[in-house]
Parts: sequence; structure tokens; C-alpha cells
Amino acid sequence: MNGKRKSGWVALTIVLIFLGGWEAAVRIFDVPVYILPSPSRTFETLAANPQMYLQASALTLGESLAGLLIGVLTGGLLAVLLTLLPGLEGGVMTLAILMKSTPLVAIAPLLTIWLGFGVVPKIVITALMTFFPVLVNVLSGLQHVEPALTDLFHSWNASRWEVFRHLRLPTALPFLFAALKISAPLALIGAVVAEWTGASGGLGRTMWLAYTNLNLPYLFAAIFILAAGGMTLFRLLGWLERKVVFWLPDSRES
Amino acid sequence: MNIQVEALTHIFANSRVQRTALAEINFGVKSGQFVALIGPSGCGKSTLLRLAGDLLHPTRGTITLDGRKPPEMRAAHEIAWMAQSPALLPWLDARQNVALAQRFMPVNRHPRLTVDQVLERVGLSDAAGAFPFTLSGGMQQRLALARLLALEASLWLMDEPFAALDEISRERLTTELLDLWQPFHPTVLWVTHNIYEALRLADRILVFSPSPGRIVGDLAIDLPRPRSEANPRFQQILAALRTALGSTANAQVAQ
Ligand SMILES: Nc1ncnc2c1ncn2[C@@H]1O[C@H](COP(=O)(O)OP(=O)(O)OP(=O)(O)O)[C@@H](O)[C@H]1O
Ligand SMILES: [Mg+2]
Repeated sequence: MNGKRKSGWVALTIVLIFLGGWEAAVRIFDVPVYILPSPSRTFETLAANPQMYLQASALTLGESLAGLLIGVLTGGLLAVLLTLLPGLEGGVMTLAILMKSTPLVAIAPLLTIWLGFGVVPKIVITALMTFFPVLVNVLSGLQHVEPALTDLFHSWNASRWEVFRHLRLPTALPFLFAALKISAPLALIGAVVAEWTGASGGLGRTMWLAYTNLNLPYLFAAIFILAAGGMTLFRLLGWLERKVVFWLPDSRES
Repeated sequence: MNIQVEALTHIFANSRVQRTALAEINFGVKSGQFVALIGPSGCGKSTLLRLAGDLLHPTRGTITLDGRKPPEMRAAHEIAWMAQSPALLPWLDARQNVALAQRFMPVNRHPRLTVDQVLERVGLSDAAGAFPFTLSGGMQQRLALARLLALEASLWLMDEPFAALDEISRERLTTELLDLWQPFHPTVLWVTHNIYEALRLADRILVFSPSPGRIVGDLAIDLPRPRSEANPRFQQILAALRTALGSTANAQVAQ
């Protein structure tokens, strides 16, 4: 507990030093605002347009979470299916890797063409991005059971389903959290990339508008929100992880 | 549970090598006997236990348990298994760990001992709500023992269950194991590397040759428990055991 609080302060200090250095560099070298705005200028922009940024963030966050949810559900369910029907694993994994290797930046505009400027293509992109880490992690978690425990369940004459329910599923939980901590920040990026290729709102749209107008403080304000959002999601998941998989060494309260 | 082992051979084979773990083993065990299996590392003791518990299928030969095959006996929940690692479920507390084992029993078999009674017998009443990671190694193994007891099986297969513990816990737990075993009197196959442990616990010791495993010694220990090393008969059996083990050591050198 003490150690955790301490590491939180360390992280905060590092961020403050980074922002301070940036502010100082911009002032000392008199960097023009269309090249690199200072943090203070960025925060001013944020403070001046609360309504706009709040709406854009809410939209982007909503798309990210919806896509994340779909990605986690499909990835998780597919992992379960592949565990129960191991014959399918080779084929499905090849497909999944193929899909994963296709650059999403290339698919995003296509989806916009096919599905329009609304939220649907954003959710699809986000789901595609988050699906793979969840599939791979949960699958390896479900297969990661200790042989001593499989022996034990076998000696109890437990059915395949019972082994799954009482052994594989809880074993996979820490792996699911590892996947979520990778996927959640990815989900934000996915939504923003999708918005960038054509949207009627959201942080990606804000960024694209700012970029085409070379209005860098606007752009950086959106980046700050994304960074803070990704960080918050990651921390929230870490907190939830310690509550849910309490038996892992780094989750235990000392 | 009676055990009859006939011409039992097990060969581990993969694409490159074949390894004979057990070669034509024959022996019988009377119901309620506590049998220690002793022999050099790699001689097939664990393999024999896994075959008896239906965790492996034999290459040749048969194991008969009360006239039936191991898979049937396993399905009937008559076999309880315990190995070196406590194999506890970390997300369940002590009580839940024991309860889970009982949960798989057939519905028509009502456990005579409740979970709390079993925990009391192994001295874990105060730790009933504790999670395994808060228990010491000795307590974890004690919990595994409670789970074994809760199954009320008529055959206990125990593969060096206390080998990972320190000497003091090990000594205590072996004594306690005897107290737990006596009222139920299941048949026990107990793998150990410790000759004193074998002599203190078992009714009978089977000595194995180095790989491929064969039985090279079969000693009855006709002494009441608790046993004292000062007893001349104890020393006699100890000497006989040493001789049997010595012959395996010579065989190892000869190989
Ligand atoms: N799954 C396996 N695949 C291939 N060979 C195996 C396998 N399990 C055991 N063996 C081999 O079978 C032989 C007997 O192994 P086993 O584990 O039964 O020995 P053991 O008597 O229990 O040894 P120890 O006292 O070290 O536990 C060994 O030579 C081992 O290498
Ligand atoms: Mg062994």
C-alpha cells in the first residue's frame, strides 16, 4: 500500500518535471506556437473550450468502450470456443493473425466508405484492434493450468465443463486483465484513428480539424485528454485487477 | 481396496525415444494395507501411481482394484490423489478448497465428515477462511491432506506428499497422517525416498530397481505403531531394507 502510494507520487513528479521542462524549452527558445505550443497554452485552450472538449471526449470514450466491450466479448468467447474445441485452433488463429497483420489505418477509410460517418465504423475499428490481444491472452490463460491441478480434477472425475468452470476460467482471469490493460488504451487510439478518417464529432475529428488549420494548441489539448484518458483507464483496470485476482503476488495487501 | 497388479509394463514413447518406466511388475495388496514404495529416482514409482489412479493407461498388463479397472474406480470416486505440490486453488479459501473436492462426489454418496470436521481433524479450524497464499507450506500440505480425507476414498495414492517440506513439518505431518489413516483404514500406496519414514509408517515396503523399474524387495513390517528405532526388530528390518536398496545401488553401478 505504502509502496503503491509512493510510486504514484514518483509518477506524478516525473510528469510534472516533463511538463516543466517542455514549458521552459518553449519559452527559452521562443518556439512558435504553430510548431510546438507550451503546456500552459495547451491547458488554456482546454479551459477556454470546456463544452467542446467534453462533448468530443464523451463521444470518443463511448465509441472506445463500446468497441472494447465487443472486442473483449468476441475475443474472450472465441478463446473459450477454441479451448473447448481445440481442433479449430490452428485455422482460427491463422485467420486472426492475418487480420491482425492488416494495417487498420488502411481499413479505417474503407469502413467509413462502407458504413458512413457515424459511430458504427469507429466501434468496428476499436473492436478489431482490441479483439486480438484478448483472444491471444485469454486463450493462453485458459490453457495455462498447472498439470498438478488437472491431475487432481481428473482424479475427482470432473467433467470437461467442470474443469473449465472451476479451473480454466479462474486461471485465465489474470491473463484477461493483462489483455485489458493493453487493449483499453488501444481502444482509445482505435476510435481516434477511425474518427480521423472521417467523422462528425469526437476527439479524432477535433484533432483533424486543428491539424488542417495548423491550430496546434487545439491539437495538443486533444492529445492531453487522450493521454490522461488512457492513463486513467489503465489505472482503473489495475485497481479492478487487484480486487478480482487478489491471489496473485502483486495484488496482495501487505 | 484390494490391488492386483499383473505383468504391468509401461513404456513412454515419443517420436524419437522409447523409455521403459516399468517392466513386468507383479504384486498384490490386501485391503487396508499401508504400502510404501521406495527406489532410486526415475525407477517408475510415480508412473505406477499414475497408472493405478487412471492418470495414465498401461502399455501392457493390468491393474485390478477390487476386481475392477482403475477408470471405473476413479469414476466411482474411490481413489484419492495427493502429490508433492499441495495443488490448492488459490482463489478459494481453505473451506472452499475442501468443499470443492466433495462437490464432485456422486449425489448418492453422502460424506460422513463435514468440511469443518475434516478441517478440525487436520488442525486447520482456525484457518478455515484463510486463502492458501496466507498459509505456510506445512499448512498448505495439511489442507491438501484435509481434502484427501474429505473424499472418503478407499485408495489413497500419495506421491512423496511431504517431500517439499522442512524436516520438522514433515515429521509432524507423517505422525498426523497415521492418526488420520487409522480410523478409515484405506489402502495406501505411498511413494517416499526416506527409509525411516517408510519404516515408521508402512505395513509393507516394496523396493524398486533402477529404471526400468522392477520390484526387487518386498518387506513386511510386523511392528505395532508407534514404532521405536530402539526395537531390535526395527533394526533388523532396517538392515534388510538397506540390503535390498544396496542391491539396487549395485545394479545401478553395473549398468
Ligand atoms: N511423461 C513422460 N514422458 C516420457 N518419459 C517419462 C514421462 N514420465 C516419466 N518418464 C520417464 O519414466 C521413468 C520413470 O519416471 P517416474 O516419474 O515414474 O520415476 P520416479 O520413480 O517417480 O522418480 P522420482 O523418484 O525421481 O520421482 C523415468 O525414466 C522418466 O524419465
Ligand atoms: Mg516421482
